[in-house]
Amino acid sequence: MAMKALRFLFRLFFKRRQLDKDLNDELASHISMETSLRVQQGESAKGARQAALRQFGNVGLVADVTRSTWGFTGFEQALQDIRYASRSFVRTPLFSTIVIVTLALGIGSSTAIFSLLHGILLRALPFPEPNQLMMLWEIPPEMRKSNPVLLNNFVTWKERSHSFQSMAAFESLPMNLLGDNQSVQVPGLKVTADFFGTLGAAPFLGRTFRPGEYWTTEPREVVLSYSAWQQLFGGKSDVIGKKISINVSHHEVIGVMPAEFGLPDQKTELYLPLAFNLHEARNYSVVARLRPGVSPDAANAEMAILAAQTARDNVALNAGWSATAVPLLDQAVGSVRTILFMLFTAVGLVLLLACANVANLLMMRASGRVREVSLRLALGASRTRILRQLLIECLVLAACGGLLGLGLSGAAVHALKTSLPESLHIPRLNEVNLDIAVLLYSAAASILSVLIFGLAPSLQSLKRNVSEDLHESTRSVTSAHKVRRVLVVTEIALALVLVAGAGLVVRSFLRLTNVNTGFHAENVLTVRMLLLPVQKEEYHAESVREMLDRIRALPGVVAAGSVGILPMEGTNSGTWYYRADRPEPEANARPGGDVSIITPGYFEAMRIPMIRGRAFNVEDRAGSPQVAILNETAARMLSPGENPIGERVKVWWSNRPVVEVVGVVADIRHSGVSTPPDPCLFMPNDQQPFPFTALVARTVGKPAGLAQAIREQIHVVDADQGVSKIEEMQQMVSDSIALPRLEAWVLTLFGVIALGLANIGLYGLIAFSVAQRAREIGIRVALGASRTGVFRMILGDGLRLTLIGGILGLAAVFGLTRFLRGLLFEIQPLDPLTLISVICLLTFVSLFACYVPARRATKADPAAVLREE
Amino acid sequence: MTEPIKYQNRIEILQGTLDLLILQTLAREPQHGHGISLAIRARSGDLLSVETGSLYPALHRLEKKGWLDSEWKCSENNQRAKYYCLTKIGRKQLAAEQNRWRLLVRAVRGVLDPA
Repeated sequence: MAMKALRFLFRLFFKRRQLDKDLNDELASHISMETSLRVQQGESAKGARQAALRQFGNVGLVADVTRSTWGFTGFEQALQDIRYASRSFVRTPLFSTIVIVTLALGIGSSTAIFSLLHGILLRALPFPEPNQLMMLWEIPPEMRKSNPVLLNNFVTWKERSHSFQSMAAFESLPMNLLGDNQSVQVPGLKVTADFFGTLGAAPFLGRTFRPGEYWTTEPREVVLSYSAWQQLFGGKSDVIGKKISINVSHHEVIGVMPAEFGLPDQKTELYLPLAFNLHEARNYSVVARLRPGVSPDAANAEMAILAAQTARDNVALNAGWSATAVPLLDQAVGSVRTILFMLFTAVGLVLLLACANVANLLMMRASGRVREVSLRLALGASRTRILRQLLIECLVLAACGGLLGLGLSGAAVHALKTSLPESLHIPRLNEVNLDIAVLLYSAAASILSVLIFGLAPSLQSLKRNVSEDLHESTRSVTSAHKVRRVLVVTEIALALVLVAGAGLVVRSFLRLTNVNTGFHAENVLTVRMLLLPVQKEEYHAESVREMLDRIRALPGVVAAGSVGILPMEGTNSGTWYYRADRPEPEANARPGGDVSIITPGYFEAMRIPMIRGRAFNVEDRAGSPQVAILNETAARMLSPGENPIGERVKVWWSNRPVVEVVGVVADIRHSGVSTPPDPCLFMPNDQQPFPFTALVARTVGKPAGLAQAIREQIHVVDADQGVSKIEEMQQMVSDSIALPRLEAWVLTLFGVIALGLANIGLYGLIAFSVAQRAREIGIRVALGASRTGVFRMILGDGLRLTLIGGILGLAAVFGLTRFLRGLLFEIQPLDPLTLISVICLLTFVSLFACYVPARRATKADPAAVLREE
Repeated sequence: MTEPIKYQNRIEILQGTLDLLILQTLAREPQHGHGISLAIRARSGDLLSVETGSLYPALHRLEKKGWLDSEWKCSENNQRAKYYCLTKIGRKQLAAEQNRWRLLVRAVRGVLDPA
C-alpha cells in the first residue's frame, strides 16, 4: 500500500511532465497525419490543416479527458484547487488576513489553554498504575481540611489496612549541602524505606533504600535526583559510593533517580532515610498504593474506620480526628483544576466567537461570489466539483489559521512557563508541552471550525437558481443576511459574557491587591533556613540571636527579627491552647490555632503594631518566666471581652508549657492575602527554640543589595550553615496572588479578543448592508430624507443588534458567573458596577464599529449611486 | 452539447464496443491513433467513426490495463507517431471480447427476429 502510494507520487512528480509531453505529441501527430492525408487528397495546405483541426475537435478537452484516465487527477485537481484558493485569497488580502488572524486567535488561545489542561490535568502521572496512588491525610476535629499525619497513626494504618498494598511516609525538608565556599540548602525529602517501591520507581543508577524494618537510626545514605546528580557530580557514572556532606554529616550516594521521577507538586533534589522517632508532631505526608480492584471510595471508607479505631486507642492525641485518602493526581492539581476548567470554558467561548466571525466573513464573501459560482455552474462545472473547490478553500484557510494559531499557542505557553514565579507551584507546569494530543486538538479545532462555519455558507450559494443569479447578481440575499445578523448577535452576546467574566476577575484581583495584610512588606528582606542539628536546642537560639545582632549592625538595616514560618510561606504550625485557669476542654472540643516562634524585633521589622502590653525582649530567655503574645483573634477566642494580659495559657507544644500572656498584637493575614486571620500565639525563640528560621530585616531602601552581606554574617556565625531562600517580602506577597493575577491577565486578553472579534463582525455586517442598500439610501436621500436621518437609521440598526446581543449575553451572565464564585474575592458574581461598566463599554465600542459605515452612507451622492445601478 | 447533425449518416459506436474495435484493429499490426480511426472507418464502410475524444482516452485506458503496449516510431510518411500493439493479455482479452460480442449479436437477433 505504502509502496504503491510512493510509486504514485514518484510518477506524479517525475514522469508527469514526460507523460504530458507524450500526450501532446501524440495528439499533434494525429492532426499532422490527418493534414498530410488531406493534402495528398488534393486540399490546400492551409485548408487541410483547418479541416484536420475541425475534425479533431477540442484538443484541450481531448487531452483533459485522456489525462483523466491516468488515475491521479483527483489529487491534481486538489492541488489545482489549492493554488486557485491561494490566488483568490491573495487577491483579497484584507479579508484573508482578518479570517486567518481570527482563526489563529481562536485556535491559538484554545490550544494554549488545552495544552495546560492536558499537561496538568489529563496526562497520567509518570508512575506505573498511577491511578492506584493515593495520599493519606488526617482530618482535624470539626474541620474539613487535610492535615499531615502522626507517625504512630501511620504505623497503625500500615499494620491494619486492607485497601493498600504498600504505604510510605515522607517529610519535606531543606537539606544543608556543604559547599566549598558557601553552603546551600536544597529541597529534600526524608522517606521511609518503601517510598520508591510504593511509587513503583526504579533507580537510574545504583539502588534505593533497602525495604524492611522501620529505621530507628537514619542510615547515612542518600538517593540523588537526576538534576542533583548533574549539578553535584556532573552526571558522572562513578557517583555510587561517593560521600557528600548533608546536614553536617557524610552520606553515601547509593542511587540516582531517573530524570522524570518526582512527586508532582514539589521539586526534590535529595532523598534521605526517615527514622521512626515516634513523637507527637503531625508532620508527615503519606503516599499509598491501592490493592488492585480496590476503589478510592472503598479506601476512603476504610480510612475513616481506621481513624475511629486510633481515636479510641489514643484519646489524648486522636480524639475527634478522622482520616481520608485522596488520589495523588487530584491532590497535586486540585488547586488549579477549577481555574483551568474556567479558562477552558472561557477559551471555548473565544473559539466559538472566532468561528461565528469566520462564518460571518465567509458568508459575506459567498454572497459576493454568487455570480462567480453561477457562472461556473452555467459553464458546465459539476456541483461536486465546485463544492470540492469551496471545501478546499475552507481547508486552506483552516490550515493557515491553524498553523499560525499553533505558533501563537507555543509562544503563549513558553511565555507562561518563563514568566510565572517559581514559588507559584503550578503542579506539573514544566510538563506542559505541545505534544501529539495538543497538535491533534488544534488540528481538529481548526478543521471542524472551518468545516462547520465555512462550508455552510458556501453550500447555500450552490442551491440557487443559476439564471436568476446571473441576471440579478447584486440583489441582497435576505436569508443569508438574516443568518449573518443572528451570528453577529451571538458574537455580541458571547463577547459580553467574556468581558463580564474578565471584569469580575479583574475587580476581584484589584481587591486582592488592596487588601491590608496587617504588615508592611516593602523594604523587607527574608532569609529562610533550617538550622543545622546541634547537641542542645539552646544553641539554635544562640546562633539566631548572634546572626540577628550582626544583621542589625549592617548599614541600612532598621530592624531585624526572626520567625519560624513566614507570612505567605505556607500553613503555619498549629496546635491547641486553653486558659490554665479553666478546666481542660474535652479532647474533641479543643480551641486551637497557629503557633509562631519569633525573636524580639520581628514585629518591628514587619511593622505589626502592638495593641496592648509589650513585645518580647532580651529578658525573655531560657530560664526566665515563660511568656506569650496573642494576636487579636486569639485574644478574642481565649478572653472574650476581657484584658488577656497576665492570663496564663496552657499550650500543647513541645514540653507543654504554661505561658503568661504579656501582649496583644494586631492581626495579620498569614496564610494568604484572601484568608482571614486565624488565632495565633507567639512564643519567644529563646524559650521555645525552633529549627526552622526566617530572618527578617527591614532596610531603609530597596533591600535586595543586602542579601550578600547577610549571607556573609551567617557564614561568620556558622560556616556550615546554608540558606534555602532569600526573598523580598513584597515579592512573596505579590507571588502569593500570582495565580489570580494570571487569571485576570488571561481573561482580560480573552475579553479584548472577544470584543474585537464581535465588533469586526458588527462592522462587517453594517458596512456590507450599507453597501447593499446604497440604492435604497440614494432613493431616500433623493426623496428628501435628511443625512442625519440616514445616519441615525444605520446607527440604530447596529445598536439594535448590540442591544439584542447584550440582553442575551446578560441572561447568560446571570446563569454562568455563579460558577466563578469560588474564584472571586469579595466580589459578587453579579457585581452591578462590573456589569454596568461592561454594558457601557460594549455599547461604546459597538457605536464606534457602526459609526464608520454610517458616515459613509451619509456621504454617498444619491445621483451617483442611482446612476451606477 | 455538440450538434449531432453532421453524423446523421453514421452510426454512433455502441458503448463498450470501442475497446473491441481497437483490439481487433491492432490484432493485424501495430498502429497509431490516426491509423486506427482510419482503419475502423474504412472497414466499416464509412459507417463507424471514432471521435478522438473517445479514441485517445480508450487507448490510454487499455494501455494502463496492460492490454496494449506503445512505442514511438516513424510512420510510412516519415512522421513520428505513437504506435500501439497488443500485449499477450490484450490478445486473450480480444478473444473474450469477440465471444461476448457474438453472444450479444445472437441475443439481439433473437429479440429482433423471433424464430
